[in-house]
Amino acid sequence: MPTPSLDPREAWKPLPAAAWNSDLARHLLRRAGWAARPDEVARAVNEGLPVTLRRLFPDNPPALERPVYLMRADERILELQRLKRSAPTVEDRRAYDREENALEAASASEFAFKWLQAATDPARSAYEKWLLFLSDVYVVSFEKVRRAELIFRHWDIIRRNGLGTAPELAKAVSRSPAMINYLDLNRSSRRAPNENFARELFELFTLGEGNYTEDDIKQAARAFTGYRHNREGFRLSERDHDKAEKNIFGRKGAFDGDDVIDLAYARPAAATFLPREMARFYLSDQPLSHEFFAPLGDAWRASGFDLRELCLRFFGSVAFYHPDFRASFIKSPVHYYLGLVQDLGLDVIPLERTTLQPLRQMGQQLFRPPNVRGWVGGRLWVNSSTLAARRQLARTLCSPFDEERLNADERLEIEVARDAGRRRFTVDAERIRAFTALGPRGIADRLCDFFLPGRVDDGYRAALVDYLEAAPDAAAFEDRARRAAITVLQSPEYQLC
Amino acid sequence: MHPILPSTRREFLRLGAKGVGLLAFSRFAPQFLVQSTLAAPRPEKDRRILVLVQLAGGNDGLNTVVPYADPAYHALRPTIALKEKDVLRLDDHLGLHPSMAPLHALLQEGRLGVVQNVGYPNPNRSHFRSTEIWETASASDESLSSGWIGRYLDNACAGAGAPGFARDNEPDAIHVSAEVPQSFGGGVPHNTYGLSLGANAGRDDVALLERIASRPDAGLAAHAGQDHDETANHAFLRATLMDSLVAEKRIQRIIDANKPEAAYPFGNFAQSLRNVAGLIAAGLSTRVYFVSLGGFDTHAGQLNSHANLLRQLSDGLAAFQKDLTARGLDDQVLTMTFSEFGRRPNENESAGTDHGTAAPLFVMGQKITGPLHGTAPSLKLEKNADLTFSTDFRSVYATVLDRWLETPADEILGARHERLGFLA
Repeated sequence: MPTPSLDPREAWKPLPAAAWNSDLARHLLRRAGWAARPDEVARAVNEGLPVTLRRLFPDNPPALERPVYLMRADERILELQRLKRSAPTVEDRRAYDREENALEAASASEFAFKWLQAATDPARSAYEKWLLFLSDVYVVSFEKVRRAELIFRHWDIIRRNGLGTAPELAKAVSRSPAMINYLDLNRSSRRAPNENFARELFELFTLGEGNYTEDDIKQAARAFTGYRHNREGFRLSERDHDKAEKNIFGRKGAFDGDDVIDLAYARPAAATFLPREMARFYLSDQPLSHEFFAPLGDAWRASGFDLRELCLRFFGSVAFYHPDFRASFIKSPVHYYLGLVQDLGLDVIPLERTTLQPLRQMGQQLFRPPNVRGWVGGRLWVNSSTLAARRQLARTLCSPFDEERLNADERLEIEVARDAGRRRFTVDAERIRAFTALGPRGIADRLCDFFLPGRVDDGYRAALVDYLEAAPDAAAFEDRARRAAITVLQSPEYQLC
Repeated sequence: MHPILPSTRREFLRLGAKGVGLLAFSRFAPQFLVQSTLAAPRPEKDRRILVLVQLAGGNDGLNTVVPYADPAYHALRPTIALKEKDVLRLDDHLGLHPSMAPLHALLQEGRLGVVQNVGYPNPNRSHFRSTEIWETASASDESLSSGWIGRYLDNACAGAGAPGFARDNEPDAIHVSAEVPQSFGGGVPHNTYGLSLGANAGRDDVALLERIASRPDAGLAAHAGQDHDETANHAFLRATLMDSLVAEKRIQRIIDANKPEAAYPFGNFAQSLRNVAGLIAAGLSTRVYFVSLGGFDTHAGQLNSHANLLRQLSDGLAAFQKDLTARGLDDQVLTMTFSEFGRRPNENESAGTDHGTAAPLFVMGQKITGPLHGTAPSLKLEKNADLTFSTDFRSVYATVLDRWLETPADEILGARHERLGFLA
């Protein structure tokens, strides 16, 4: 447990300006975003911590346009649904079903690519990662929802409310069509309230287990009855909504869903629940004590549960930069992938095979968390097969892009990306050649200092230098420079941040 | 830390006999040799292997082992109750779900047992908490950090030569799921291996990676001038990498060469079992396998989806058992299903069922004695009330640990639990 050396009363105070330096800037950029590129580190050091944080978590968060593909697919899906209703045979209907499923899957992939592309932009990395975090709290899964359009809208709802207040975010999410489907609100009615959403609202979204009773859930479920959606979005079905009195957390009233969310945030546990989830996502996979978060929770409650205030305080605190929390956190697969792309200065390859499939093999499929709790993370990311997938990815991104292997569809995708100015898919021979000019010692230092978190021991550097110096000629040296880079990115140390 | 060396002791000895000078370049070798002279590999016929099958999401027990003759059952479930004419009869009261014909046949042959109405006191209806309770074998109100399989492995490793200790470089436990099951977590780290369909073993030169991962005094300092302390996560990553470098070459080879002696259906679940059978047949000393089938959280419109899931379960398990039998391995393998909870006896208004409590589970193997164990749940219930369990899940574990894995069950479970009759 790393906490004992930190007094909770001191932990959440702002980091003294004098302490800010490039080591801490690298830590911030890797934890709040994906990687610490030298130009970004220099800029953060220069600007100071408060300015940097206000830039990473801006007043007006960046938008993400609905991918054109989603709009086109959605039109065709509507048409297919009409066709299905008038289909003469079961076989015809099945064919329409198949097309619809394929379109949905392709749309989900397209959204995943668009999000990954946006997230690689250093100017938006921190906010996109914040959305990944919030979507890991307010979980929905494409596996159940089956509509890419609704997943996109769910993320858009979180995006628009991600730096407002937490109760407003929770209320917006309770109206998200994807959430209404995912936790069965669409089947919950006055006569038959479904408890799924109410349970997760308390257990996983706002309070945590042990801070409510089974009866609170039953009563709260009644308040969320009648939540429905149509093509325009949320609607309340008055007929199905229970307007009668409820008794929740010992208070009686004709509460509706929004009231229940306000009641939840009035509970003491709400002030530390999200900060603790943040710590689990950004700081440490070791559970930290409730007391440790109490001062942060108090300040957050006092701010009216303002999420931007929470980010500024959390990422600007003494605790966030404490040595115990540095170079010790295991990167998620998405972090590992986007970290590689940023560290190597690459563009996202717009091919399932080289981008989305590796994410799946590493254990994290975007929009498909394993269950409503989301990804647990930490050491659970790591086993021999997920490590093998990480190694394979590092190898792919550091090897020449093999266009011979592409099929016609893939070639087209690559052409489209190139036309849009994205053409650096892997580390090419030219860049490796430029790299060899540094010599064995220079290459080893560059790899360790740019890519690895903290400062690595001399044994690590010595292994690289020995390996590079053993090259018999220039061609072999070039090959070894590439392999050394791959090895560093595969090594246990690069899995940490 | 496992050295990079031939992947089994036997392979090592074979290479050694051919005179390959492995000792010349491995600083690990002397210790390795000493270990190998102390304990020769156990003959393969002595193995006792446990295959855990997780039904993730909470399996609806009443529609799995169906009390078709009880009018209360039909009253509880006006639209989703299964009819007497459809179920696969076990006796005058109970029948299996119609899509489980292959498991029904195994039950009649005496190779499948049903443990009825399994649960625990003060049931928790959260997926995560209840899964955690099952996987850590804890009481509802206690929190344990280690899993029951992990504690079994702890125990096996503590005593030299104790059964259950896998040979060098062979995983103690293998799971076919993206995440490591909580069951596997021990007081000390164990060599567990995650097998995924289509995982590709690396083929390039890994010598530099081996050297970096195995260097002494590895560490990362927070900043210049600090000590290079190795954090727990760092040590964990290094150990996992070293283990996997060894294991992956060997396991991939086995799966590539696997020739099943039964036809497996398509789908990830059956294919996972197919690979497990291949690994068992190859003689790995691994004692525990974990396979997961998800989707049992049937809150709405469950008739079709549940039938489909049970068909996958039944077809997959039956193919697996047939394969093991054909290879003469069925006396070495016990398979057991579990799910975090059963579902509410009353169907809900969406033709589904909500989170409940107790449910039956299956045990499968040549050594199973008797078809039905424990007692069926009482359906004399208040509206929307839950079942009251009659067999504690830790009794199932105690029976498996004691009579199958031959290990001090009470020590591992921290308390004495009654043994059940499905194993003699």
